[in-house]
Amino acid sequence: MLQIKGLTVCFKHEELFNGLNLHVKKGEIVCIKGRSGSGKTTLLRAVMGFVPIKEGSIIVDDTLLTAQTAEAIRKKIAWMPQELAFPVEWVSDMVRIPFGLKANRGAEFSQKKLLENFAQLELEEDLLAKRVCEISGGQRQRIMLAVSGMLNKKLIIVDEPTAALDNVSSYNVLNFMHRLLNNGTSILTVSHDPCFFEGSTRVFSL
Amino acid sequence: MTTIDISYFSLLIGLLLLLIPIYFFAKFKTDLTKATIVGTLRMIVQLFLIGMYLKYLFLWNNPFINLLWVCIMVFVASETALSRTQLKRKILMLPVAIGFLASAILVGCYFLGIVLQLDNIFSTQYMIPIFGILMGNMLSSNVIALNTFYTDLMREQQLYYYLLGNGATRQEAIAPFIRKAIIKAFSPAIANMAVMGLVALPGTMIGQILGGSSPNVAIKYQMMIIVITVTASILSLMITLWLASSKSFDAYGRINNVFQEKK
Repeated sequence: MLQIKGLTVCFKHEELFNGLNLHVKKGEIVCIKGRSGSGKTTLLRAVMGFVPIKEGSIIVDDTLLTAQTAEAIRKKIAWMPQELAFPVEWVSDMVRIPFGLKANRGAEFSQKKLLENFAQLELEEDLLAKRVCEISGGQRQRIMLAVSGMLNKKLIIVDEPTAALDNVSSYNVLNFMHRLLNNGTSILTVSHDPCFFEGSTRVFSL
Repeated sequence: MTTIDISYFSLLIGLLLLLIPIYFFAKFKTDLTKATIVGTLRMIVQLFLIGMYLKYLFLWNNPFINLLWVCIMVFVASETALSRTQLKRKILMLPVAIGFLASAILVGCYFLGIVLQLDNIFSTQYMIPIFGILMGNMLSSNVIALNTFYTDLMREQQLYYYLLGNGATRQEAIAPFIRKAIIKAFSPAIANMAVMGLVALPGTMIGQILGGSSPNVAIKYQMMIIVITVTASILSLMITLWLASSKSFDAYGRINNVFQEKK
């Protein structure tokens, strides 16, 4: 699903990593670990073409990432950053954001399906009626993870999905991700959580 | 009906009224005192100079000189828009100038040629005031809209990249920012349109009535002025954003820095 070959990325003329090779197969969860500032988030962003590449190549679903193919590749991806501070007032509006895009027309918004995902992630239904500023960062991220699961994408890229969570919630997130794998989805993620490493197909140290 | 002239002495007496706002600006330490004095002096000098230029433009009534004058207005308006928004000249100068010029010509010629059905649309009496009012309105709405669009895009990059990362085209990813810029720039004009004649008597109408036109003619001109200024403003904004987008983003859709470096 995702092949990264000999990737070198620089930040302000300094190499973050060089010659990096990583392979994520269909139906796998690959977790990237590493110390702060080692370039974990940068690596995730590079897969979507958000970061300039010095050397190497990124292939998503047999398509080489270039300026011409970046848009087509992103259509196959669901991206969830760690910080989710969107300029919308209500949670009910936030969860609909990706469904307004042409690329996601195949995945119609369904409140029933969303609430099923909420239940798997132990999120309360009444969160939908709240203001975005009234919910915690961890809740916000799990809510958008529930949304990502509805987009039917081949690759889900998630930055630190368990950073603000306790062990039980982390376990729920991992279980939710495993259910997504059954649909043929692959997941590339970043985490510092040892429980999460155990539940991943592979762990990649940066 | 003729308009009563204002003598220079009377003008001076009229300008004394400005002492009232200057007093309050100073009393409450608003930092507006100096700006008001400088602004007033600039206004006096600029309007006297314009008065002289216009006198000759009317005297010559030459289409080429009028077009040249329009080009000068476009250049000055573009310069002003960029200095007020702090956007990079290298990236935005040409898009802003083309946006102003193309919209002014399209909408201005539509009004002069099709609505007014003038034999000579380059006639100084009509062309210069109409293009002038279009330019002034395009400038103020573009300053607000461009500033809102680029400031929000830089500040709320997270939303832009979230949309891109979930399959949005660049047009889809910038749509929320364009929407907000349009709302901010055009809401006052739309609100003003709704209360026109009730809460305030608009400038063009007053000018025409003072100049001797009948109120019936004045209201029709006022309606058209509102319509052409709003149309030209949105058109110029769209042309500017469209032309600037290739330099505001790179080939992958990443946002380039469009603001001037802070000294």
